[in-house]
Amino acid sequence: MDFNTEKDVVIKVRNLYKSFGNNKVLIDFNLDLFSGECVAVLGKSGSGKSVLIKCIIGLIKYERGEIKVLGNEISELETDELDKIRAQVGFLFQSNALYDSMTVKENLLFPLRRHKRNLSNIEVNSLVEEALDNVKLPHTANMMPSELSGGMKKRIALARTLILKPKIILYDEPTTGLDPITSREISNLMIEIQEKYKTSSVLISHDINCVKIVADRIVMLIDGTNYKQGLYDELKNSNDIKVTHFFN
Amino acid sequence: MEAKESKNFLKPIYFVLNEAGEITYFSLRFFRLIFKRPFEFSEFVRQCYYIGNKSLPLVAVTALIMGLVITIQSRPTLVEFGAEAWLPKMVSVSLVREIVPVITALICAGKIGSGIGAELGSMKVTEQIDAMEVSGTNPFKFLVVTRVLGTTLMIPVLTVLADAISLYGAYLGTNIRGVVSWNLFWNQVFDVLVYADIIPSLLKTFFFGFAIGIVGCYKGYNSQKGTEGVGISANSSVVISSLLVFVLDLIAVQITDLLGFT
Ligand SMILES: Nc1ncnc2c1ncn2[C@@H]1O[C@H](COP(=O)(O)OP(=O)(O)O)[C@@H](O)[C@H]1O
Ligand SMILES: [Mg+2]
Repeated sequence: MDFNTEKDVVIKVRNLYKSFGNNKVLIDFNLDLFSGECVAVLGKSGSGKSVLIKCIIGLIKYERGEIKVLGNEISELETDELDKIRAQVGFLFQSNALYDSMTVKENLLFPLRRHKRNLSNIEVNSLVEEALDNVKLPHTANMMPSELSGGMKKRIALARTLILKPKIILYDEPTTGLDPITSREISNLMIEIQEKYKTSSVLISHDINCVKIVADRIVMLIDGTNYKQGLYDELKNSNDIKVTHFFN
Repeated sequence: MEAKESKNFLKPIYFVLNEAGEITYFSLRFFRLIFKRPFEFSEFVRQCYYIGNKSLPLVAVTALIMGLVITIQSRPTLVEFGAEAWLPKMVSVSLVREIVPVITALICAGKIGSGIGAELGSMKVTEQIDAMEVSGTNPFKFLVVTRVLGTTLMIPVLTVLADAISLYGAYLGTNIRGVVSWNLFWNQVFDVLVYADIIPSLLKTFFFGFAIGIVGCYKGYNSQKGTEGVGISANSSVVISSLLVFVLDLIAVQITDLLGFT
């Protein structure tokens, strides 16, 4: 890895192996996320992208290899230590994962109340307002998720991730299932957030347009390994059909 | 899986044993977490309110009708034996000991069990359970423990209400043909209903409630991917918990019989 070696590594994945029964999903995957950058992991559907970031956040237990997040080996953490890491790592779920039975505001409060227990009501309200402003949906606090469109749901889910001011954000296919215009808006929002809060992020996707404008560099996840990596143009002009395949 | 290799007729047996084992394991997890902090008290209260509120109208109407119908149906037989005066006594014992607890539990299995199965199933499928976990919350405790405690507590409460309503139905039923005064009716009922009737029949409803909650949660929590999976979860919650209600009832009857509460 000769990228940005002078910067801090915030996520380090080495020789990651994960299988479900006979289905070997990740065989030998390696990744470094440096402070302040956005790395895209590009792979086709079912290649194990979601499994990868769920391993990073400790939702899926991996069998071999190491994952260090902010210097902590994920598989060795106790629940409360893991919670401390999770408070600094936002996760935007592919299906948004907004709680259906709660209003938008209650959705935002859920992680806030549980990760930061001693905030006053005034602080809480201003954080909710700030988070909703960040995603440009200021007047939705009392709406239910079922009243929101797909793009709005994605924004609220992003607001819920942002409310804890995470150092790292993991995006699981943030534009999948959205129309091209909304996808573009979400991509722009991701760039704004990256600049405003100086977050580092891993972007999982197969949407090449989103990857092109958001990511600083790309890692290809093919056959369970970090098959190739590089800048957008390098990979696009590569002569490996397995790689160029994604860029059409 | 071994089931694939075994002969066809063994498959259902394997399936039932496997499912029973999984549900038992799931229940053990419930008992391990129930006393661990933090207690999700407000969610528990919300669930209790929701469970009671959602099924009370249906339970009440059914109980009233059961009281009426059983009374009207029993009269001719008693008249034949010249024992018409025994009507309130006989009917109240069957209602309180058997009919009302089982009917209430079945209604709740249909309404609450399927609701929990579908709710947790869709939460699982849309990653809401994962989202809770990364938000510093133990989803098993927040979702499963509160709901199972809710059903375990509320089904007995609903049963007591339903008992009262069904006895009122029986009062109406006795007065369609004969005349039994309000006071006389209740005197007769409480003359025959002793603690040995009420306590065991109430105790078993805690088990009914637990079964309904745990099965609904288990099915929802382990829902398969996709909207189809949610439907399957809701459906099999109802089937399994209804079946369990009967099995538990059978066990309860055997126990009360052995202990001599007859
Ligand atoms: N909990 C699980 N149990 C069994 N198999 C799983 C599980 N999660 C994912 N898989 C399998 O892992 C593979 C990769 O899935 P996933 O990471 O969701 O793909 P994607 O790259 O589209 O996000 C798929 O074959 C899927 O069936
Ligand atoms: Mg995925």
